[in-house]
Parts: sequence; C-alpha cells; structure tokens
Amino acid sequence: MLRFLARRSLGALVIIVLISAITFALFFALPSQPALMSCGKNCTPEAVALINKNLGLDQPVPVQYWHYMAGIFTGRDFTVGHCPAPCFGYSFSNQQPVWGTIVDRFPTTLSITLGGAAVFLVVGVGIGMVAAAFRGTWIDKFFSSLSLVGNSLQIYFVGVIALAVLVSGLHWMDNPAYYPITENPVKWFTGMLIPWLVLSIIFIANYSRMTRSQMIEQLGEDHVRTARAKGLGRRTVFFRYAWRGALAPIVTIFGIDLGSLFGGAIITEFTFSLHGLGRLAVSSVSETDLPTLMAVMLVGCTAIVVANIVVDAAYAVIDPRVRLA
Amino acid sequence: MTAFLSVRDLSVRFSTEDGTVRAVDGLSFALERGRTLGIVGESGSGKSVTNLAVLGLHDPRTTEIRGEILLDGQELTGAPESVLEKLRGNKAAMVFQDSLTALSPYYTVGRQIAEPYRKHTGASRREARLRAVEMLRRVGIPQPELRVDDYPHQFSGGMRQRAMIAMALVCDPELLIADEPTTALDVTVQAQVLDLLGELQQETGAAIILITHDLGVVAGTVDDLLVMYAGRAVEQGPVREVLRAPRHPYTWGLLGSMPRLSASVEEPLTPIPGTPPSLLAPPPGCPFHPRCAYVSYVDGGAGDRCRTERPELPPGRGAACHLTEERQRSVFAEQIRPRLG
Amino acid sequence: MKPTTRSRRSRGRLASSAAALAAGALVLSACSSGGGGGGGGGKSEGPGTDKNTSSNYSIGTKEDSAGPAPEVPGAKKGGTVGVLQRDAFVHLDPGQIYYSDMLANQLLYNRTLTSYKVDEKGRVKVVGDLATDAGTASDGGKTWKFTLKDGLKFEDGSPITAKDVRWGVERLYASFETDGPLYVPQWLSGDGADFRKALPDGPYKGAHLPASVLDTPDDKTIVFHFRQPHADTPFATAMPNIGPVKAEKDTQRKYDNAPFSSGPYKVGDYKVGKSLTLVRNENWDPKTDPIRHQYADRFEISFGHQYADSTRRFLADQGADKNTLSFTNAVAPEMTEKVLGQADTKARRFVEIQPYVDYISFNTDRLKDVNVRKALAYAMPNGQILQQMGGATAGVLATNYLSPAMDGYKPTDPFGKKAKPAGDPDKARELLKQAGKEGQEIVYAYPNTDLQQKVSVVVTQALERAGFKVQKKEIDSNTWRTAIAEVKNKFDIYRTSWGADWPVSSTVVPPLFDGRQIADGAQNYGHLNNSAVNTEIDRISAIPDVKKAAPEWQKLADKIFTEDVPGVPTFYNTQFSLWGSNLGGVRYQPVYGTVDPTGVYVK
Repeated sequence: MLRFLARRSLGALVIIVLISAITFALFFALPSQPALMSCGKNCTPEAVALINKNLGLDQPVPVQYWHYMAGIFTGRDFTVGHCPAPCFGYSFSNQQPVWGTIVDRFPTTLSITLGGAAVFLVVGVGIGMVAAAFRGTWIDKFFSSLSLVGNSLQIYFVGVIALAVLVSGLHWMDNPAYYPITENPVKWFTGMLIPWLVLSIIFIANYSRMTRSQMIEQLGEDHVRTARAKGLGRRTVFFRYAWRGALAPIVTIFGIDLGSLFGGAIITEFTFSLHGLGRLAVSSVSETDLPTLMAVMLVGCTAIVVANIVVDAAYAVIDPRVRLA
Repeated sequence: MTAFLSVRDLSVRFSTEDGTVRAVDGLSFALERGRTLGIVGESGSGKSVTNLAVLGLHDPRTTEIRGEILLDGQELTGAPESVLEKLRGNKAAMVFQDSLTALSPYYTVGRQIAEPYRKHTGASRREARLRAVEMLRRVGIPQPELRVDDYPHQFSGGMRQRAMIAMALVCDPELLIADEPTTALDVTVQAQVLDLLGELQQETGAAIILITHDLGVVAGTVDDLLVMYAGRAVEQGPVREVLRAPRHPYTWGLLGSMPRLSASVEEPLTPIPGTPPSLLAPPPGCPFHPRCAYVSYVDGGAGDRCRTERPELPPGRGAACHLTEERQRSVFAEQIRPRLG
Repeated sequence: MKPTTRSRRSRGRLASSAAALAAGALVLSACSSGGGGGGGGGKSEGPGTDKNTSSNYSIGTKEDSAGPAPEVPGAKKGGTVGVLQRDAFVHLDPGQIYYSDMLANQLLYNRTLTSYKVDEKGRVKVVGDLATDAGTASDGGKTWKFTLKDGLKFEDGSPITAKDVRWGVERLYASFETDGPLYVPQWLSGDGADFRKALPDGPYKGAHLPASVLDTPDDKTIVFHFRQPHADTPFATAMPNIGPVKAEKDTQRKYDNAPFSSGPYKVGDYKVGKSLTLVRNENWDPKTDPIRHQYADRFEISFGHQYADSTRRFLADQGADKNTLSFTNAVAPEMTEKVLGQADTKARRFVEIQPYVDYISFNTDRLKDVNVRKALAYAMPNGQILQQMGGATAGVLATNYLSPAMDGYKPTDPFGKKAKPAGDPDKARELLKQAGKEGQEIVYAYPNTDLQQKVSVVVTQALERAGFKVQKKEIDSNTWRTAIAEVKNKFDIYRTSWGADWPVSSTVVPPLFDGRQIADGAQNYGHLNNSAVNTEIDRISAIPDVKKAAPEWQKLADKIFTEDVPGVPTFYNTQFSLWGSNLGGVRYQPVYGTVDPTGVYVK
C-alpha cells in the first residue's frame, strides 16, 4: 500500500512538473504581453523594457521557469525583499506575493467545494438509492425526471434565481459571502448555504442517476442473490452488499469532481461574488499575470492529482481485490 | 403423507418487455430427507428457476409463481418475505455455481459464512467466527483459522466452492440446493466437491437437490433424477434406471452429447440437433417435437399427437413422451445404446 | 482617462470576457466596461441626455479652494457605506493609480495638490486641494508655483509639507512606478521613459531633483519648472500621484497595500483582491479640504460583484444593501427596464455622460483615398451600433470626435449622424463612385466579445448597403489590443475607444491624431500624419489659457474629422448608476466618470 502510494505520488510529481512547464511555455506563446497591461500612455519600447525588467521577463524563458520552480522550494529574492518558500513570486497585476493570495483564496474554494460536495454526495447518492430501491414505481420515475431537470439546469441560471427568490424576494437568507469558519461558524454556514445548494443541484442529478444505475446493476449481481439466499434481510442486502459494490465507481467520479472543484468552481464564484481559486484563475489569464496563473494552475493540478491518489487509496480500502492484489 | 419437499404443478412466469416467459410450466416432484435429487437439462430448461422459486428469490414484481411448494408441510408459494427470510440459509440453503461472482468480493470468507449463522441463531460475533472456522475445517480448507480472514479472491476455485458449501451448511440446513456446484471446477476438484456433498449429507441427513447440465455428475451422486426440458419435467426415476434405460428422446440426446471415457477419440459427439424452444412462445404439443427424431414412430408415422397433445409425465418412473413404453425401450436398445458404446 | 480608459477598458473587457467564456455568457455588459455598460432599451424614462457641460468647467479661485467643503443638505454623520465593485483594485498606491474605479476610491484617502470641486449642479472647478489655489504660472507657463495650506496632516498627525509632496513626485521616477499617469515627471524631466534617467532610483538613495527642476524653498511652497509651457498644469496636478507621501512611511512596492492617508479616511483592513475597509482618519481636518466630507464612519468595499449581482442588490434594497453603492458598476443591461420601471429607484440613480468615446478607426496607411474614408464615415450606422451596445442607458450617439464631457465641446455633426443614425448609404455610394472605388474591400477587425460580435453584424450590413465589400476579422479579445496597436496591422477599420484624463482636449487630440506619435502600442490608431495637423496641435498646445484653447481643439478635431477622416466616432459612453435608498449625497464625478464618494452619507 505504501509503495503503491509512493509510486503514484512520484508519477503525480512528474505530471505536475510537465504541466507546469507546458503552462509556462504556453504563456510566452500568447500574443498579449504583460507589460502592455500596465504600460501607460507613453508606452514606448523603453517603458515596456523597464516593466519587463521589473517583472523579470527580460531573462530567457527556461531561466525564468527554473527560478520560478526553484523559488517554490527555496524562496527567492526580489528587489522588494525576500520571498520565503513556498514562493510563487509576486503578482504582475497587483504586486502581491502570490502565495499569500492563494492562501487567502483557498479556504473559500475549500468551503464551497467541501460543503457543496457533502450536500450533493449525500443527497445525490441518497436519491439514487431510494430510486433504485423503488425501481419502476412512481418514486423512481419522479426522481428520474427530477434529475433530468437538474441535469439541464445551469449554475448561473439557478444561482441568479436562487438569489432573486431566497435573498431579494423572500429575505430568507443573506447575500452569499465567505466568512472564515474559525471566526464565525454560523455566518460561514449561512453565507455558504446558497452556493452549496445551487452547486449541488447540478451534481445531485448526476450522482442520483449514477447511483441508481450502479445500485440496480449491483442488485442483479450473483453475490447479492447469494446474500439473499442466506436469509439476510432486504435492507442488509441492499446496504451491505449492493451499496458496497456501487460505492467504488461513485467514489471514483466523486474524486475527480472534487479535484476539479478544488481547482476553483469558477461559475459558482462569479455567480455569488465569492473569491476562490476559480476567479483567481480567470483574472490571472485575462491580466496576463504569469506568477498567479502558474500558482493557481499548480494548486489546481496538485488538487486533482491528490484527489486521484486519494481515490485510488479509497478504492483500495473499498475493494480488497485492489488492496491485496 | 407428503414428502419432505413436495413441489406440485409449479409454474413460474416472468413478465418481460417482449411478453410472458413461461420458465417453468406444471412441474411436480418430491424429495425425502437424506436423499438426493438430480435435476438435469440444458441451460434455460428451468432448473435454476425452479429452485430459486423454492426459496422465493425471484423478484415478486416481475414474477408470477403458481402451484404448491411444501417444505416439511409448510406452504412456500406466496409465503411472506419474513417467513422466507427465516427459512433461507437456515432450513433451506443454496450453493451457487461460479463462486467467484456468487461470493461478495468485499467481505472476508469468514464473515460471509458467519453472517447467516449470526442472523439465524443469534450467535455473538465470536461464536459465529468460531463456527465459520469449524465449517471451513469441515469442508476441508487447510489452516481454516487463518483462511477465515481471507477474501474470496485469495481462494482457489475449489476452495471457494468449498467455502460456499460451508456457508450454505453453516446453519445445518435440512434442504440443500446445489446449483451447478462443480461447473467451474476441473475434474478432480469436481469429484472432491461432490464427495464432500455426499459426506456432509451422511452426517446431517439433509435432502439435496443437485442441479446440473452434466449427466456425468449425477451418476454416482444422486438417488433420483429429473430431466427438464423447456420448463417441464420430461423424464424421472431412480438415477440408475434413468441412466441405464432412458426413455425420453431428449434424455437420449443428452446422453449422446456426453463425452465418454470408453469412446474412441475419433467418434464424434452427437449434439441434439436444433435449439431449445423460445419460452415466450413454446411450441404446442410436446415441446421437444421440433427437435425429436422419433416423431415418426408415433401414431403410425404421422406424429400429429406430438404436435398437438402435450404428453403427461407418469408419476414415479416414466417419461413424458407419446412413444409407447415398448417403443421407448426398443428404440433405446436398438438405436441408442449401440452408439453410446 | 487616457491610456487608462483604454487599459482600464481592456482590463475590464478582458476580465469579463474571460469570465463570460468560462462562465458561459455570464456577463453581457462586458464591452463598454470601463464606462457605460447600461442599456437594454430604456425608452420610457429617457436617461442619457446630450447635455453640453462645456461651460461647466472652470479654474477655481482661492476662495473656491478654501475648506471646508459646502455641507451636503440633509447629511448626517455615522454609519457604514458598502461599496460593491466588479474588478478588484489593482493599486492603492496613488502613484500607480490611473483607472476610474481606483481614481474614485483614492479620493477618500489621498489628497493632491489640486482637485475637482463638483457643485450640486454638476459644474466642475479645478481648485487647490492641498494647495491654497490652483497654482500660479510664470515664465510663460513653464513655471508653476503651489503654496500649501495650513493645518494639513497625515493620518499620524504629522504635518504635510512641501517635502512630502516632492517625495511623492520623485518616487514616480523609481522603476517600479509604471502604472500611473506620468505627465508631471515627463514635463519636468523628459519624454517617454527618459525622465527616469533624471533620478534613476527615485528619492530612495538620497538623491533629489535639482531645485531648477523641482523646488521646495520652504515647507509650504513647491515649484515646478517644466521644460515647456503647460497651461493645463492644474489638471495634471489633480492626478492622484501629485500628492504627499511621507518618506518614513514609503514602503515602495509595499506602499500599494498600505498607503499613508492624507484624506478623511485611512486604510483599516485590506484583503487584496477581496475587500478594503476605509475608516475615519481622525487627523484629517475638514477646514483644509474644499471637496471632501467625512460623514460615514467607514467604507466597506468588496470586489467580485458582477453587474447583475450589484444591480440585483441595489434593486432589492434590503438590510445593509440599503447603505450600498458602487463607484463604477453600471446597471446590468438585462435589468435596465426593471430599474427604470421601478418608481422608487428614481431618486437613487443617474445616467451621466462619461469622458469616454467609442470610435471605429480607419487605417489611413491602407485606406489612402480620403473619399473612401468619407464614404465609410457616412455609411457607419452609429445609432444601430449604440442600440447593440445597450441603447439609451449605454451611451449617446456621437457626432464628432470630442465627448460632451470635454471643455469647449460643441455638438457639431459634419456627417449628419443625428439625422441619419443608421448611416447614409446613398451618400457613401456616391462618394465611392466618384472615387472609382465601388465594391471597395474593407478588412474589419473586432474583438470576439458578445457585444462586438453583435455590433459587427450591423456595421457589416450598413457598409455593404453602401457598396463596400466587408471582410470580417474576429480577434481574440485577449490579444485584441496588441493586434490593433501594431502600426503595420493588416486591418482597414477597427473598434477603438478613448477617454480624456481631464476635460481639456489636449488629452484627446494629440494622442489620437498627432502624426509624430505613431508607434506600436500608441494610440494614433488611424496613423494620420498630416503636418498641418501636427503644426496646429503645437499651436493650440502653446495657448496659455485652457479656456481659450478649448474651442480651438474642437475646431481642429472637427477639421480632422471632415478633411482627414482617420475614423468615425460612434457613441459617447454613459454611466448608469443605481444605489441603496438609505444613502444620500451620491453624486456624479464627471471627470472620472464615476460615482463621487466624497459627499456620501447614511441617512
């Protein structure tokens, strides 16, 4: 198991480094120049050169890349002072240490993701199981059509409606906002509630459908029939045998979804005026802010890769065939 | 006085999108304690369906079961789920084919054996575990106290099948239904498993139903034999008699398609021509008539009876065939036996 | 604001188009971003009016410059004003500020030598802010002297002296100060980036500009010795970076996080990219300040609010949102009708003309025949373009190069745009015929934003109706600016925009039409290089009285438009603002084109 994890981590590291190199290279292939974003009226070649020098863009790209990546582990010295490890440089657009910004944004993304994921996992899987248990009845049909509706909804649509109805119309809730859980857990919860609900609506549809079909498949498995032939109750068979079997594919998809959400739930963030990594990613692209772009990309990439490793590990926990093979 | 297990005029129908499948149609048989009944037939002949019906394992929403299933005097058709649950794995247990898929990959062998024991006897976790070890030992698993914590995939095929048997026997069932318990195993292991079943029956005096498509398996194992075709019993009787002097053309076909040690290699197997009929729309009359080579022996050659009239299976020894008993004997003696060698 | 607008806009546009890309058409308002933005029809309440505000600009007197600012009727002290902004502030360091949102914001914590005093009728006077008046010129307009008021203090209570203003100017020479307007240092020390050579490290290594350039004979006096006369100096010294920076508090780059306040508010809490809280500065003395008040206890500014979000909250007008406004967020186009239709918004909204103008520039390097360019100008469907951009709340149909927000503006209309808002295809066709250029092929470039795509449809139709053959070139909005700012670009016409840094057309005509300013990345997008025009620019620039120069700029702009036609203006941007019902004193800042926060109070 340990060796398995070590091997996966090593592979992940290679992937991350590769992707970071590609991102870095692609950035310089862009026709837009960071210098032009801040260069004012007198945008002479000298002014551009000065800004490029300030930003460290006057050096060869591989050297810049090396400095950037090395800085993450060793820290870097800039004209403004030392930037301790992990140093992701200073933002081109607002001159802030990028790592500080990431650290500041990540809790928001984490809150959106974990809260939303908890909701859509519990509700989605729950609905799927109910639908599977009552397959063919009106309950199943009701949930199936509901999931069809949910599937065709979009966050910015549901989100705007949720805001208009729940906040502006009925005054049931406050405007969504992020408050650190450490400062005020109640406000954290109420501020995140709408984003969670809206984010989950889209996912619930997927998860309920997937759970339903997985459960139905599992319920038809031989070992489930064996369990029944042993005299185990329907409930025991349903939860202990069928659900256990349905769990593995759900966990796989969940891991992937979670990973990509960690990279930032862009639409959710924009819809609810939240500041997570997704917004940071979008603005770093539009502002040609290389250090921030790289940092967000690395964090997002790491999140996805870590999520994948966790999924694999979870898989091993769930399925002894993987664990003991 | 009814038998320990008495099935009378059992019919099982599945409703599917294409129509109603008559998987079992008017089947009757009986089985006493301490005896073994073999049920043979091609796949789709209704042997497994029959036995799942005995335990009430069909989905009630899509299955219609009619007739009478009496186990130790208790009516099982239409019995409530709670009654059946108490019965399953307890008084009546089942061993399935293909133990790789029939055992859950997610739980240890020991746990899966202990589970019904705890459920039916109320034993503690510890007691159940000890029982599981004991059962594994009984079915001949070496080092059972270690292997009890293994997962099914860590067992060999034969061991898995033994574990499966241990699981079925853990509550000392009075009826054991073994559904192709040896199909996936190689020949030596097959024999071991069959021997094991026999030994265990000696110890417990259980009634056993052994379902198989392989006549070779039943030869030394069962007391009585029931041959099924298209959801119906076509021949029955003590196994020795059926094998020595089979009466139904279908049984002849089965025997003919069986490889024999005594036969020379060059001699080809003779499979039964044609395919089993669709159970959505079974042929009228004798269901076997479209594949039967002996229709011309009925009714002086026309064989109309075969096409229109369903032959009855006489109780006790007999075959559901329009050929006269005499004709059955003579055809077998003259045409079939020589080929079987 | 000069490159501001454009940079500002491109920043806004890029940000929102990228978001729209990612979010799937989240932001409709994208294109006119920096300003305008409103739209959606709005016929009933008739917002944006074509008012001529030119006479409303003047240079204030010493009396005008004296504090305190006239009380806002009904104003009360206390309370918290919430501010919802779409884009996060990039800078707090006044030396780096050029964009309109940050310009509005810095008014609260940053004082400058001069400032704009806006009265309740929207008339603007340039007055002394730190200085006792708008400055005194000598040496033919090359030397400008400012005297500081008494009682000026930083947020720590220490006095503001001429040395602090000198420090504020000299730090602009340091290499990290690249984003702000550089008029004053360039006028003092050299064009382009050359001025930095005069003080390569800024004031940080002990060196200072010689007294012959920037002099502080005593603690109250600061004297600028420019290389050339600059009549609009009082406007240039109103830029946010001509103010005091206390040397001990100057943390250079890090000053961006923690500027040291000279205004009524100071930075309380700043979460870069997320929120900014400004709290009362107890050491600010209202008696010294002619424009600012300190009614509210604090301003809580938060970023990341799309126009749809802020509009929804203003419209719902609940709880804390009643005390909330935005400096620059416009009413979301899709909600325009709702806002105009909801009676209670009447007293808490405005539609005002901004100093921003949208153009379609003509590349004179490729379209050498002036008749072809004239035909294009006639054919251009200004009214339809505006309609695509959002209609009456997004802007006002343009008839000449200068915005109505400019001093000396006259509603001239050489191409008859008022009469024929859909263009004049007959006239255009006729001109093409005369030139023998019927079926002239036009390469039309535009950024691939939702709005510009819609605009491209009406432009193409109108031009083809006039007998042109149009070849559309859609360009990724991220690279748009670089693409058209290239002198040797391969396009004939393209959408551009411009805004003045101050309401004097010296910040419009020279950058747009001076042939000596053609360069990659510069703003003479039409590449017009007419020596007569260049000479005239020099002549008007030298006029020592900006009020006298104003009509001359208008004349020159009209002459260029009529005779050289390096482009056609399409519409003047407007700002459509809405705010919470519990706020009073919300006014328009016509120079920045934003809400003016200085007189805002909580009812």
